[in-house]
Amino acid sequence: MSRFERKILFAIGLAVFLALGGSIFLAQGALRDVYAVGVNERFGAELVHGVEARRGQLMALRASSDQVADAVLWAVEAQLATSRSDAALDSLLAELLDRYEAVQSIRLIDDADEVLANAVRAPDPVGGALRTTIRDRETGRGERKLRIEVEVSVPERYFERLQEAGEVADVYSRLQQQGASVSDVYAWVFGVLAFFVILVAFLIGAIVSRRVTRRVTDLAEASRKVGAGDLTVALPTGAGDEITELTKAFNQMVRDLRDSRTRIEYLQRIGAWQDFARRLAHEIKNPLTPIQLAAQEMSETYAGEDEAYQKKLLQARAIIEEEVATLRRLVGEFSAFAKLPRADLSPSDLCELIESIRISIPAVLEDVGRGAAAPVEVQLSCATKPIRVRMDPMMLKRGVDNIVRNAIQAVHAAHPAGGGRVLVRAYQSEGSGFIEIRDNGAGIDEENWERVFDPYYTTKAEGTGLGLAIVKKVVLEHGGEVRLDRAPEGGARFSIELPLMETS
Amino acid sequence: MRFAVAALVLLVAAVAYGQSQLPKRDLGVAWSRGAARVSFSAKDLADERVRQQLSSGLRKRMEVTVSAHLNGSNWRMGVRQFGCDVTRDLWEDGYLVRIGDQSERLKTLEQVLDRCLVVEGLFVGEPNSYALQKGRDIYFAVKAEFNPISKKQCTELIRPSSGGDPVGPISVTIVRRRICKAERRIAFRSEVLRVPE
Repeated sequence: MSRFERKILFAIGLAVFLALGGSIFLAQGALRDVYAVGVNERFGAELVHGVEARRGQLMALRASSDQVADAVLWAVEAQLATSRSDAALDSLLAELLDRYEAVQSIRLIDDADEVLANAVRAPDPVGGALRTTIRDRETGRGERKLRIEVEVSVPERYFERLQEAGEVADVYSRLQQQGASVSDVYAWVFGVLAFFVILVAFLIGAIVSRRVTRRVTDLAEASRKVGAGDLTVALPTGAGDEITELTKAFNQMVRDLRDSRTRIEYLQRIGAWQDFARRLAHEIKNPLTPIQLAAQEMSETYAGEDEAYQKKLLQARAIIEEEVATLRRLVGEFSAFAKLPRADLSPSDLCELIESIRISIPAVLEDVGRGAAAPVEVQLSCATKPIRVRMDPMMLKRGVDNIVRNAIQAVHAAHPAGGGRVLVRAYQSEGSGFIEIRDNGAGIDEENWERVFDPYYTTKAEGTGLGLAIVKKVVLEHGGEVRLDRAPEGGARFSIELPLMETS
Repeated sequence: MRFAVAALVLLVAAVAYGQSQLPKRDLGVAWSRGAARVSFSAKDLADERVRQQLSSGLRKRMEVTVSAHLNGSNWRMGVRQFGCDVTRDLWEDGYLVRIGDQSERLKTLEQVLDRCLVVEGLFVGEPNSYALQKGRDIYFAVKAEFNPISKKQCTELIRPSSGGDPVGPISVTIVRRRICKAERRIAFRSEVLRVPE
């Protein structure tokens, strides 16, 4: 794990765990406050009062039922004392049963446990369960001992409600006593769950951040390689984020560096070849004149009679003079290559360059056709006018002339009877101006596409191999590129790309 | 996994240690038909406050748990538990005591405490459990609790909100354990004794 990754993970961890600690702290306070609002002493006291009230209600009901029983007992006792009529007694019991709802039954029993009078309330099917108790009193009628039993009741629901109220008050009292710990339980459970959620989030964050940091690490590693001179580095670009933008910019920078280095290396190589050409021209040029003069002297001063020898001398002189002429031409080209000036750039129009080339085409055709115009169709065009670039028109024209001449020679060789075609066009695209020269000649083999720009490399019998080298040097000094590939027509296609002038 | 096993071992060891540290009390132990019959009194559970609450007219519960353990081990050879639901009858003086399915009416609180907290010849464990441990040292542990809220009642009274959040159910489970625990609890153990050969 890199230090960068560790820092990012530390930052994520710090942020999430501070948030967790803060939220637990705040949640704990908030829960205590909320708990204190819902579970407070006053509510608890009211619940206890409610329980006491229900208990008091029950006790009051008990006292009331005792009073009712007493009233019934007295009434029956009074009836027994004043009347001996059993019918009147039955009537009284029924009346008492009607009068007192709490009374369920009244019975008069003698000492032999025989029921003398009895009044029983019919069970109420919807009245619910009852809790009953019997209040009795001994009395007498004349000599007989009697017992009056009064069964009084209270609905069972009063007891159930007391129990329910008691249970609720009990639990509430416990909740009240445990208030702080209950809040803490909620806060800690929340904290533990939040911790696991945050842990998962942290792991996801770590994975995601690792993807980012890995790309940054890759960039750092690529930068080290570039610093060590490896300009073949190219990093993959992923999703459209800032790191991707950075990676794209890095790749572009490496490409630019690679192009610049290639350009510089080529120009340095050209410079070395120019130096070599200058020395070579100097060393060859000097002995040419004495060689030629010596050959002429030998031929002219022979005074002998041997005609065969005379003839040989003349043939040798002719050969020497021809080869010296060839060497002079070569020396001239070497010398011109060696003295090739640096491009002097100024704002210009590529279309004007095309027009100036158009003027020189007839002469080139005539030269290639050795006196008669070669049967080659040359088309020149400019797609957009003007195409503003900074260039040295003289030097660039010389370079393009070279390529056009080569193209005309190639198509003339391939189609000596006619049908050869050379297309020269200028256009602009994506911030660059282009000059394209293509033909329908034999083309150049792909393995030679790079080498044709090397000095002294040529496939022609009379070529010096300097023409395309000059072209490339000139184009590179313009900050441009020259490329060779296969034309759609089957021949060669040269593309010269120059940076467009920025429009202000 | 290793952490979980270590935690479990520590927990068992802690419980065993806690059990062995209980105060000792004389328990009557008799052997009958290969099983132990234990006698003891846990009436000291009923302090003044407990007595007041038992006389309140509200239903109160007392639970007694007796367990037999191998000495030096947390392994429980046998356990016996019973509970008394006591309600003072406000309608008629006296107490209604319910033990399991049986109800009985007692006149005084002392009678209630004798019925619920004084144990005579209670079988603890099966004969098979002792048969395997003949000649080994054992002890009995007693736990008496006043008014633990029953699990059912506790579940009814303390419920999580219906929001479906994960915090509620977990918190409520913990809160229930705290809220519904006994209001008063005593625990003691017997001296070490040997299972007869």
